[in-house]
Amino acid sequence: MNMKILTALVSVAILCMLAVAGCTGTDNKAPVDKPLYVVGIDGDYPPYSYMDEKGNPIGFDVESIQWIGNEMGFDVKIQPMAWDGIIPALQQKKIDMVYSGMSISPERLEKVNFSKPYWIVNQAVAVREGSTVTLDDVKEGKVVLGAQRGCTAHDWFDKNLIQTGKMTADNLKLYDNVQLALTDLQNKRIDAVMYDVPVIKESIEGKPLVMLGEIQTDEEYGVAIRKDDTELLTTINEGLDKLMASPKWEELKQKYDME
Amino acid sequence: MTDAAFFTEVLIPALLKGGVVSLQLIALAAPFGLLAGIAIAIGRTYGGRVVSGLCHGYIIFFKGCPLLLLLFILYFGLPSLGITLPAFVAAVIGFILCNGAYNSEYIRGALLSVKEGQMIAAQALGMSRWQAIRHIILPQALRRAIPGVSNEFIYLIKYSSLAYLITVTELTGAAKIVAAKYFAYFEAFALVGIFYLILVSIATVAVGVLEKRLAIPGFSGK
Repeated sequence: MNMKILTALVSVAILCMLAVAGCTGTDNKAPVDKPLYVVGIDGDYPPYSYMDEKGNPIGFDVESIQWIGNEMGFDVKIQPMAWDGIIPALQQKKIDMVYSGMSISPERLEKVNFSKPYWIVNQAVAVREGSTVTLDDVKEGKVVLGAQRGCTAHDWFDKNLIQTGKMTADNLKLYDNVQLALTDLQNKRIDAVMYDVPVIKESIEGKPLVMLGEIQTDEEYGVAIRKDDTELLTTINEGLDKLMASPKWEELKQKYDME
Repeated sequence: MTDAAFFTEVLIPALLKGGVVSLQLIALAAPFGLLAGIAIAIGRTYGGRVVSGLCHGYIIFFKGCPLLLLLFILYFGLPSLGITLPAFVAAVIGFILCNGAYNSEYIRGALLSVKEGQMIAAQALGMSRWQAIRHIILPQALRRAIPGVSNEFIYLIKYSSLAYLITVTELTGAAKIVAAKYFAYFEAFALVGIFYLILVSIATVAVGVLEKRLAIPGFSGK
């Protein structure tokens, strides 16, 4: 008898909780017909995508996709993740797109589609304050260089210096991220670090490092989308057109000091 | 690029190059890690209060410090104290320190398994304490420590992969570079897995042979 009462009470309690959960659920949810797209970002890639002090994702790319989602009628969930595994995550449908300063490369195009390019970047070279290293030294591979493993600078050094025999592979040090490379630059193990211009600008602030100059690589950033997801590709391309034509574009460029 | 060409021209050559670096790391770290382990185990077991305390402190520190953190301290941290180690050297030192700490516990266990009476008997025969350790206790203890130490050696083979995080392009690092460039994660890491499996299998067989070779008739416990 007691058992039955207990069971009844528990059932009522569960039903109540479900009812409450149901209420809050519908209150917070947007209309059901709005699709939700999960956007994969690198959580440590200022000014394109990074986390603010409270741990919320912000950045030029993050605000861009939020604006596009608003304009084109879809919800956006920003998902920070490890850069190394971001393309496999896209292919396995854990995320729906990568919008995080991803450069369009032939190797990547074999696996995924890219939106139209929305940004062009060059590579910046950072050296220690008072260093005698010149941009030509870097271009000729005469000094010890540092780069982030798998990034444009790594590729560029590989193609232009190591494969041409101008420099031995030992003189290129590869790091897990550019911040470690810059730390090692301060430690004097390497003489120069090359990485994307805005990131270098932001990262050397407050450190005894200076930006030596840029190397023209004309890398283009695009939004990566699964090959079979052509509808989303069209939506994003349209959204990018609208964004770049709107005053918001200039506002974002100003806000993130992009030029 | 065809799949076959990718394997034969890109992936396998890169992994072989990285594999050689891995082998160099292991070959340098393992013997010194063993020596460090023996020294610390003896210090902890037979040393006076100071030596034993120091050895105990060493073990607590290096067993408690994650290896990755230790490598970061050695590589990125020490330069602020004016010590700039090359990446390869920093990795080997880190492995030796860690390997030594774990080995010493296996060896200490083996030292303690040799009955105290043997030390007393050796000294009664006129041997010094050190002579007794060197000629009576260590030869027995080291044999008993082989299974435990071989375990640690196998760990070393696998944790040598952490070296890529301080810019040493060993096997795992080489695989990561190729995988990231060609998005061939599965292919690259499957091959890396096979490589480690082969290394560990060779090590296991070699340890078995060593154990048999060193066995003293009548002492095998069978």
